[in-house]
Amino acid sequence: MPVELPRAEPGTGSRTDLSPDVEVTAETEGPWCTVVWNDPVNLMSYVVFVFRRYFGYSRLVAEQLMLQVHEEGRAIVSRGSRERAETDVQAMHSFGLQATLERAGED
Amino acid sequence: MAHAFRRRPDGSLVCRLDGEEKAIISQVAQETADLIRADLGIDAEGDVLRRAAQSDDPLRRLEAEFAGREAREPSDSAVRRLFPAASEDPLLAAEYRRLGQQDLADGKLSDLRRVMRTLDSTGQGHSEVVLDEEGAMSMLRALNDVRIVLADRLGLERDGDFDTLRMLQQIGERVEDAGPSGDEEHVGSDVVIAVYELLSWLQESLLRALD
Repeated sequence: MPVELPRAEPGTGSRTDLSPDVEVTAETEGPWCTVVWNDPVNLMSYVVFVFRRYFGYSRLVAEQLMLQVHEEGRAIVSRGSRERAETDVQAMHSFGLQATLERAGED
Repeated sequence: MAHAFRRRPDGSLVCRLDGEEKAIISQVAQETADLIRADLGIDAEGDVLRRAAQSDDPLRRLEAEFAGREAREPSDSAVRRLFPAASEDPLLAAEYRRLGQQDLADGKLSDLRRVMRTLDSTGQGHSEVVLDEEGAMSMLRALNDVRIVLADRLGLERDGDFDTLRMLQQIGERVEDAGPSGDEEHVGSDVVIAVYELLSWLQESLLRALD
């Protein structure tokens, strides 16, 4: 299972996010999702970096997802086909983040 | 004394580390790689199997495919953190491990090797360590993987555990100042705490420079 890294070129995340009502997840459709779990090791700045670099999320979205992981213990970071979720979980593991795939609507 | 990472005009990332710091980082990277290989049973045989998988001989390919099915479940608690179950469904997790664990291990080992090579190439004394973009990504991932192993050894399980540990250590130091004590195990964990702090600081500094 090859890991596609990085999915977005560096610097594509915008520094000034104009819309405060931006959707937290970029891909909201699909039967599978990738869940990232909280852990005591990963630096908050690292988690934000990974979300921006790999998923190409804006800084605002990446920070919101990181805070959700930190405060709620987990966050859905992507949705899509099973293959998509498998690739994303593998990528998260390659960065040392605790991630699982699950069918959407399981929680 | 280490100097934080900064980005140079040519885009490369540079920090300064002294000889001891480079030796320590190289050593923990090596130990992490050794731990991964030992726990997952990756050795020279792995290379043989990989070559067999690309062989022109269909029987050898079949043999390699069956051998490859035995992706070993990590038994060490730190390696379990590096190679976590990808699903709460055990069947799905096992299938995922079978398909992806070898690639994941290859990536982690390659990052660790690259960091060791970079550090070793700068010689033994105090020096600059220069990374290109790919080298920076390897450094970030490798530092993180080593920190995950050290955190496991320190018993960090929840947010704030490291702060608690650090506080207990400082109280311990004050108590020790009051009277002599030569607890070997205690000295060992003090070293691990210091290395963990150095790696966390270095990773944070690299993230700032990349931002």
